[in-house]
Amino acid sequence: MPNKILIVDDEPDLELLINMNFKREIRAGQYQFVYALNGAEALDKLEANGDVDVVLTDINMPQMDGLTLLARLNEQYPVLRTVIVSAYGDMSNIRTALNRGAFDFVTKPIDLQDLGITLTKAIKEAEDRKQALQNQENLLHIQNELGVASRIQSSILPRTFPPFPDRTEIDISAAIFPAREVGGDFYDFFFLDAHRLGIVIGDVSGKGVPAALFMAVSRTFLKATALTGLPPADCLAQINRTLYKESVAGMFVTLIYAIFDTRNGELIYSNGGHNLPLVLRSDGTVEALDRVEGIAIAASGKARFSEGRVQLQRGDVLVLYTDGISEAFNLKNEEFGEERLATSLRNMVGGSAKELTDGLIAEVNGFADGAQQSDDLTVLVLRYVDWED
Amino acid sequence: MELTHEINDDVVHIGIKGKLDSRTAPSFEERLMQIIDQGHKKIMIDFARLDYISSAGFRVLLFGARRLAESSGTIALFGLQPKIRNVFDIAGFSSIFSIFSSREEAEKSLKA
Repeated sequence: MPNKILIVDDEPDLELLINMNFKREIRAGQYQFVYALNGAEALDKLEANGDVDVVLTDINMPQMDGLTLLARLNEQYPVLRTVIVSAYGDMSNIRTALNRGAFDFVTKPIDLQDLGITLTKAIKEAEDRKQALQNQENLLHIQNELGVASRIQSSILPRTFPPFPDRTEIDISAAIFPAREVGGDFYDFFFLDAHRLGIVIGDVSGKGVPAALFMAVSRTFLKATALTGLPPADCLAQINRTLYKESVAGMFVTLIYAIFDTRNGELIYSNGGHNLPLVLRSDGTVEALDRVEGIAIAASGKARFSEGRVQLQRGDVLVLYTDGISEAFNLKNEEFGEERLATSLRNMVGGSAKELTDGLIAEVNGFADGAQQSDDLTVLVLRYVDWED
Repeated sequence: MELTHEINDDVVHIGIKGKLDSRTAPSFEERLMQIIDQGHKKIMIDFARLDYISSAGFRVLLFGARRLAESSGTIALFGLQPKIRNVFDIAGFSSIFSIFSSREEAEKSLKA
């Protein structure tokens, strides 16, 4: 495709001069020249030849002069570059043109060698701008898609709170903040039968789109497996066998799967390499669940999983979180840490699940103090409600 | 993050310094895969000056270990700071990777 150059001049002899001087480029299909006698005609020609790269225009012309044309070009054709032709020494028009966005100027009588160099430069600039515009459009397109992906991703997690309004014995809240448009963290909860609630928190390695895809697979597969009623350890072992085979480039997911019995407060859990959840007792003590055997899911084909058990009393709270909370950094590059996490919870003892969730997020954000969020941030809180509530 | 690597006999020594997170993991991945693609089967990584590792960093280590396992190769890690060692323990990765307390032990295991 030749680069198109529009020559605007009311003296038709310029056409002859150009055609002679750029004979070789025209024949080689490198340049194609289009001509107009004034600004108005130039705009018509541009409409007919939309892909013009450079406009070379005289200043003094009947009907529409070069400076007026320049203003119109800036509005309508921001990508193409304009080179002004002016009388030697007409500095005031040249300054005006440059101030109005002309790319360069040549003076009459035209030095054809200089014109050649100027056109080459202007074409290069126009092509760069075209490319930049294209890149920007591509980027916008990707951003739009990410926006859609982000909405899809958040819609697959339970978002309505309270999720089980008629279950007054449990109070659940959760919050999730991906570091980018989409993330690798997730949480989930669902009743397995009338009394037992399945609870999940997970964190896929990395973040962004690859993590989001693996997150969707892991979350769906875990829920489907859990709903068959398998105990936590068997459930993790089963999804590990499958996801290990599916894992690309070493991707893995750390997760906790727990079953909470709403009748007696018993929690049975298994851990695929995730941060141990915390229990905030009603007296304000904070304890981590006991370590149990297990490895991040999809990291090893030989992983074994065991189960732990903890008894929640009425008024106790179970807090599951991802390392985006404990490893949030502030501007001084300090970590939020498990110590601060425990203290924050202790200070909020007695609060509802939502108060604890919001309070913890506020605490982490306050600590980070504007430092860029480096990882997805997720917290899921389950309160075993007091009889009095 | 800074990376160094040198080859002694048939053992590749990788040194890694700073933070291994989602920002720096791609360059670590590129280097590690290059080394594996060249056919090296014994890799030891010095973690002594690594201050932070995120899951993105673990992913690259796992990827490397899985690729090496295909050609019966191994990765030996040594010099982990206690904080880093703790993260390995939480994720259960201490049982997947061969972790040694010193360079000498790591080297001995690879040469055995």
